[in-house]
Amino acid sequence: MKPLLLAACLALPLAAQPFQFDLRHLESKATETLDLSLTHSTLRLAARFMDDKDPEDAEVKKLIEGIEGIYIKSFDFKDGELSKADLDRVREQLRAPEWLRTVGFKNREERDTAEVYVREVNKKVAGVAMICAGPKALTVVNIAGPVDLDSLADLSGHFGVPKLDGKRK
Amino acid sequence: MDWLEQELKHALARKDPPPGFAARVRRAAGRSRVFTMPRWMAATAALLVVTGAGIGWREHRGRVAKEQVMMAVRITAVQLNRIQTRVREVRP
Repeated sequence: MKPLLLAACLALPLAAQPFQFDLRHLESKATETLDLSLTHSTLRLAARFMDDKDPEDAEVKKLIEGIEGIYIKSFDFKDGELSKADLDRVREQLRAPEWLRTVGFKNREERDTAEVYVREVNKKVAGVAMICAGPKALTVVNIAGPVDLDSLADLSGHFGVPKLDGKRK
Repeated sequence: MDWLEQELKHALARKDPPPGFAARVRRAAGRSRVFTMPRWMAATAALLVVTGAGIGWREHRGRVAKEQVMMAVRITAVQLNRIQTRVREVRP
């Protein structure tokens, strides 16, 4: 009984942790890496320094409200270093039914792919992930937590964010 | 005893201070004590310095956090734009 209780206690904090990509297999291949990890406490602190009178600040503040974290990783590669298998290893981490692909684009000639995934827990948005890959670069964006897609769409015009369609494939 | 020893003995010989020397030293020391800060005041000043440094550090961290968030939103926006452009190319 005691080991079970201990296991349950250890599992609780793990379950509470937001989803994060495991991209270690790409780090050794990349020529350049950008890693931006913004935890809940960083977002909360940043929100306090946003000026409500500034439209951009106000919109970003609204967007990050309640979000658990923003994790961005961007890699630059030498041509041909980023393989299909590498990308598949990233995609595999976004499993259905939790993750739903809302947008997917692929251009074979330009070796360009772009995908948007939405994570749903109890029929509520619990995260958004983006995988954008070209022949020499890969950017993975993971917004963990209850993302307000309307707020994300509202950024349009300020940061050039387009409006998202919620159609599922 | 040679001349050097005699010189040293003379130079290092114990001499009594002139009369009134101790009183003059005490007076001079008393004059130099312009201000003595009470302990509570020193503690308050130290606390203020530490608090000020803490606030400054927090302010700095907040500004850095804000810059990082803005950068993250900008990157997200650029990627979303890219996706939108590509999708529009396929389905105008």
